[in-house]
Amino acid sequence: MTPPTMLEADFAVARRSFDVAAQLSLAPGERLSLFGPSGAGKTTCLEAIAGTAPLRTGQVHLDGLLVNTAKAKRPRRGALVEQPAELRHRGVAVIRQPTTLFPHLSVRKNVTYGLGARAHSRGGALEELLERVGLGDLAWAMPDALSGGQRQRACLARAIARPFRALLLDEPFSAVDATSRAMLRTIAVEAIRREEAVAVLVTHDLGEAQAFGHRIGIMENGRILQLGGTEQLVRQPATLRVAELCGNRSFVPHHSGRLWALHPDRFMVGAWPDKGLVLSGRILSVRPYGPRFACEMQPFSHQVERSGGDGHQGGELCLGSGIDPGQVVVNLHVDSPPRVGDLWEVTSLSPPLVSRVSLAGDEEG
Amino acid sequence: MSQLSRRAVGRIPAAAAIVAAALVWVILLGPLAVLLTQVSPHSIRQSLDQPGALAPLWTSLEASSVALGCMVVLGTPLAFLLARGRLRAARVVEAGIVLPLLMPPLVIGLLLIFLIGQAGPVGRVVSGVDPNVFGVNTFFALVVAEFYESAPFYIITAAAALTTVDARLEQDAQLLGDRPLSAFRKVTLPLAAPGLATGLAIAWARAMGAFGAVLIVAYNPTGLPLQIDESFIANGLNAALPFALLLIVAALPLPLIALLWSTRALGRRRSEVAVGAGS
Repeated sequence: MTPPTMLEADFAVARRSFDVAAQLSLAPGERLSLFGPSGAGKTTCLEAIAGTAPLRTGQVHLDGLLVNTAKAKRPRRGALVEQPAELRHRGVAVIRQPTTLFPHLSVRKNVTYGLGARAHSRGGALEELLERVGLGDLAWAMPDALSGGQRQRACLARAIARPFRALLLDEPFSAVDATSRAMLRTIAVEAIRREEAVAVLVTHDLGEAQAFGHRIGIMENGRILQLGGTEQLVRQPATLRVAELCGNRSFVPHHSGRLWALHPDRFMVGAWPDKGLVLSGRILSVRPYGPRFACEMQPFSHQVERSGGDGHQGGELCLGSGIDPGQVVVNLHVDSPPRVGDLWEVTSLSPPLVSRVSLAGDEEG
Repeated sequence: MSQLSRRAVGRIPAAAAIVAAALVWVILLGPLAVLLTQVSPHSIRQSLDQPGALAPLWTSLEASSVALGCMVVLGTPLAFLLARGRLRAARVVEAGIVLPLLMPPLVIGLLLIFLIGQAGPVGRVVSGVDPNVFGVNTFFALVVAEFYESAPFYIITAAAALTTVDARLEQDAQLLGDRPLSAFRKVTLPLAAPGLATGLAIAWARAMGAFGAVLIVAYNPTGLPLQIDESFIANGLNAALPFALLLIVAALPLPLIALLWSTRALGRRRSEVAVGAGS
């Protein structure tokens, strides 16, 4: 039996340079992250799903309700055209970018805006919600007085304060510090679970996308290039472009015909926040390189420890099948030369440090 | 050049700007000052104590109020549609609204005869209902003439004010459960209120002072501007000035209140910002 679908979307939105098209189907409780560079059409996707952007073709259904449909160019006379549900009946909660708090209402009134008469009966729950998103002291502040991060907190509280069928988040935590971001994400995820709603999050931070979604769609130029599980996208990018968009900077050809994709942050190991992510290994060779020195280092392991904090992602060196991690060599450029045989730790505080990774025995060049 | 003199030279533009600003202010307020010096309490009493002397004032106030009411009810939706770009050929509509502003009021008056007088087909239908109520030289004609002279000011200002309200806020309000109309009332209106008030204030001043079109289509019942004109022609400057003062006193309070309120509304939001930032 196929799981029931909550959100069924298949649409194209006309934009100046290209159409934004997507085909999505989400089950109740499912969270999808849309990830991609700026201008990829992610926000347009959200607007199409919310039904606030006119479609060129296609339809969007949420919980059996038509929320968006393409307008027929010339509707046949007498033909009944199904109209999308009114905005207020859609059960769509949005967090936009930039944030859209009502500037003439206090934080508290913003959050209770959608509650109507229920606001009073939920007084206690409301205080708790404000407290949880970290706005307990700012309940009566006006939006103009808030920082960007505080505004995003208030928007989250407003969005989840009333029942919803879909939560659409556009860069919802971009101005929030890393620690609070994890907390806010948890609050959002709990609300989605509680409502058995669907959620679509738009971000250009892959870590954010992975942490939030069950699945990730990677977008560019209005298309979803790949839609898959959070690990699948990173470990098995379908195309070179997807691998690039995931942040892999260098690609090392392997004799199997596959490529190694190497990510400047991702393959760095460790969990010491003061140092950043750390890769440790043994120095194989050192030679002068301009004013600096070029060394080769063999990492101890390609395994990456999951760091406790949420800011950085763990993972592992992303290897094609049949590659022995022992063969990996990291090329470094450093100011003061280590000795061959030294144990070294390379931090990712300066990503350009690692210029290239090659297989042991590969020709340099 | 020494440090000191260079600083002095640097101050010349600032000083010039202040002088210019003061000059403009004096020039703009000059006539009002003259009016206040020229009108003595005695002459005011003499002019206004005559029986029926205040009737034109009431006529003007009533007609302007009705014109303003129509403007708000009919003009606000139009301004909103203009602001949101929901109209096909919005430029054409806008041009149509501005046209009465660009035409000399006297000409508008002449053309209005066709609209409400018996000369044109429209007028025949309109005044056919009851020529004593809807014809030329009626209270109705006065309202129409004032409407033509003032409504464009309100609609253009209101459209500008409504444009400043982010349409996404209206969408959000509706997504949070509001009907479109209550989203407009609870979000759009409060945010655009200072601008709308300014538009209303300008329109009020124009309506109270409407003369050109009124002269042609609504000589009776006599409003304040026509009363001034009549007194001036019949009895000279000194007889007209008290009515002029009356007109200013009647036409100014609403604009001034609106202006003070809108600056205060903005100031309040700002001071709340300061309070919020401090806490």
